[in-house]
Amino acid sequence: MTRARVLMGLAFAAVGVGLWFALTAPPDALQGEYSRLLGIHPPSMWLAFLAFGVTAFGSIMWLVKKTDRWDRLAAASVEVGVIFTAIGLFTGMVWGQAVWGTPWDWQDPRLMSTAVMFFVYLGYIALRNAIDDPTVRARRAAILGVIAVVQVPLVYFSVNLFRTLHQTQSIRPDGSTIPDEMLLAMFVNMAAFTILYIALMVARIDVAKSESALAPESALAGEAVRPPRLDEVEDV
Amino acid sequence: MSDTLVVAGTYLISYGLILGYAVYLHLRRRRAQR
Repeated sequence: MTRARVLMGLAFAAVGVGLWFALTAPPDALQGEYSRLLGIHPPSMWLAFLAFGVTAFGSIMWLVKKTDRWDRLAAASVEVGVIFTAIGLFTGMVWGQAVWGTPWDWQDPRLMSTAVMFFVYLGYIALRNAIDDPTVRARRAAILGVIAVVQVPLVYFSVNLFRTLHQTQSIRPDGSTIPDEMLLAMFVNMAAFTILYIALMVARIDVAKSESALAPESALAGEAVRPPRLDEVEDV
Repeated sequence: MSDTLVVAGTYLISYGLILGYAVYLHLRRRRAQR
């Protein structure tokens, strides 16, 4: 059994445990069953922040070391991060419809900054797919990976910096506004999602390794049709 | 629609997306190794 399969099995077991905690936590007096979304919405966004942070780290390391492994790490992490941002947005909208009475508010800084972050990282994936040369692709993606990460603190602190519909942090230095049973379910799910992140990363990096082993040394037509330089031409 | 159903559906769609991505990675890796 491969390392990726063992990790994936472990991750799905952990997510199963997390789901059990989320579904057995008592429902909220005001939000009812919708409070169970605490088991998926905050963990998804935590994972997205972690993933984009890892991308920035991988990008910086590629710019310093110029080795493929850091580029693979950054690229894999973006893909996982985008999926979890999508889940965070979707679950947030379902919760918003029930609790706020609207799934989306175009003037809300938390919602809008998260949506912008989602599209910027989709752009990162599009940028990678648009460039054939592996070195040029890695350099341009690394620069974007470093720049785009500024959005992570902006999204996280947007609830403190601006007036928003979204509530401010539920866990503060002076305590939590969430009851212990729900808080436990949220933390168990955050841990489970972190294991899931590692498993998906290992699987995604394995794919990138397998595919790069298949790729020819240079897939660029330009290399084959490069015109001769003057100093390479012999007099006849 | 009952609240329980909406929450269950939300979990189902979200986990379905993650599972779908894991299956996609598995198939892509198998194709690359063939």
